Amino acid sequence: MKNLMKLSVLGLLVVFLFSSCAKQPTQQMDEAKAAIDAVVQAGGNIYAKEEMKKLNDDLQAAMDEVNAQSKKLFKKYGKAKEMLAKVKTDAEAVNALIPARKEEAKNEALTAQTEAKTAVDEAKALLDKAPKGKGTKADIEAMKADLAGLETLLTEVQSAIDGEDYFGAKDKALSIKEKAAAISEQINAAIAKVKR
Amino acid sequence: MKIRGAGAALIALCALGLVVLSSHCKTAPAPSEVNQALQQEQDLWRAGASIFAPEEYEKYRQVLAGARRLFEKEELKVGFFRDYEKVRQEFGRVLAEGERIRKLIEDRKASLSGEIEARKKDLFSRYETLNTLSLELSQRTLSRRQLAQADVLFRESDRFLEKASYEEARSRLDSIESLLNQAENILRQQLERYMSQEEIARWRQLAERAVEKSRNGNQLVILVSKLERKLTVYKGGAAYKAYEVGLGFNGLSDKLHAGDNATPEGEYRVIKKVSPSRFGKALLINYPNEEDIKKFNEAKKKGYLTPASRIGGLIEIHGGGKDGLTQGCVALDDAEMEELFRMIPIGTPVTIVGTTDPNNKIIAILRREYREHK
Repeated sequence: MKNLMKLSVLGLLVVFLFSSCAKQPTQQMDEAKAAIDAVVQAGGNIYAKEEMKKLNDDLQAAMDEVNAQSKKLFKKYGKAKEMLAKVKTDAEAVNALIPARKEEAKNEALTAQTEAKTAVDEAKALLDKAPKGKGTKADIEAMKADLAGLETLLTEVQSAIDGEDYFGAKDKALSIKEKAAAISEQINAAIAKVKR
Repeated sequence: MKIRGAGAALIALCALGLVVLSSHCKTAPAPSEVNQALQQEQDLWRAGASIFAPEEYEKYRQVLAGARRLFEKEELKVGFFRDYEKVRQEFGRVLAEGERIRKLIEDRKASLSGEIEARKKDLFSRYETLNTLSLELSQRTLSRRQLAQADVLFRESDRFLEKASYEEARSRLDSIESLLNQAENILRQQLERYMSQEEIARWRQLAERAVEKSRNGNQLVILVSKLERKLTVYKGGAAYKAYEVGLGFNGLSDKLHAGDNATPEGEYRVIKKVSPSRFGKALLINYPNEEDIKKFNEAKKKGYLTPASRIGGLIEIHGGGKDGLTQGCVALDDAEMEELFRMIPIGTPVTIVGTTDPNNKIIAILRREYREHK
């Protein structure tokens, strides 16, 4: 009888140890979330969209595992801990990728900005050289005003770059470049008209 | 010998048993639906499920997560006891739902894209009208900045549409609409009175009086119609010569004061022939006349002009080229000015009106624009 009592107490102790000593890996959870937050802060949603999606999915899977274990009598958080540790490591790796991608986007925006500015300057130079003969003066005035409009937009490209909206800046700069090229074509057509 | 034979038979039996066991107890392979569903989820996300079907996508993800848990649970079992049938069914349901969401995303994208394209088409038609109008005017700089910027934004919106970035495309269209409104306001300020039937009737009356003068006195009369940029010399009641002309920077407005770069409207006469002038030969007219002085004084009295404002003068019909923009004078190409200068004596009546044609091209454009967007 005495032995039975001892065994029961021992059994209860074992059950208690298994069920209550396995605590949720809150520290790992916090660390993984913080690592992902750091990626977001660094611009992950812009420069590492695919990776961000994977990180969030992996975190969700790890959290699901924690949740599933927390409902069990015999909790085993080993797998969840591994998953959370991997999320943290992966997030750190993604974070390390972002500066280079950001720099690449910045360089592309700056290149597009330079090209747009060059295209506008070329159109202006062409306009200055255009013979202000019969049939061209009023057109030239109109094209000058068009170019003035483009110069205003060039300042918006700079503002976008200053605000680190590199993709937006690039799109705007490329559109300005196209329009400036179209104006140059018009100027050349006006010049050709005078020569004829 | 017997023992050796029995041992060999036992080993052979064991080996046979192992072969039979291994052939029948093979771990069932994971259903292909599992990987298909995982790939599908990635594809849906890339297609913009979280933007175009957020609620459906969230539910789908929850169902997928449940299916994954079921799969993982099955994976924990010893190979012999694994049964993936339920897993297969569950992932099959996920795949079917994913397919439904994919179609939903496509439909929503097509609908959004169509809506944006339709608005873009409407705005572009408006842009073309305003662009044509601004290039038809003698003062072609009017609203050009806004129109050039709108052109760039159309290009930007195309880029966003290509990337299925509908919100950005829509925001560009909002900016375009605002720029077109500005351009229209600028043009309307200049041209609204050219749509007024009363104003056109008054100008026609002035023009008819000029023709009448040429008929009655059998004299030469000059009629300038600003909107058409045309100077016509009448003789004996009929058009005798016609020239294209250039006007002031603000030529379509009626001149009110010095420095407004507007070309005056009213009845004048040539008071001096100037040769050489700053712009080839020139015919000086008697601006300001009595009516101009009256208008100027009234405007000053009502506070429309500052006390320092002056009425100005020295309005000429001169050479220098019809493509030039003047400070209010009427300009012809030099060769034509030479001809006019020789033809016109001092005292010749000069009538300047806004327009005489109530249905000219520019007014037609303005009216169409006005009807479509009022």
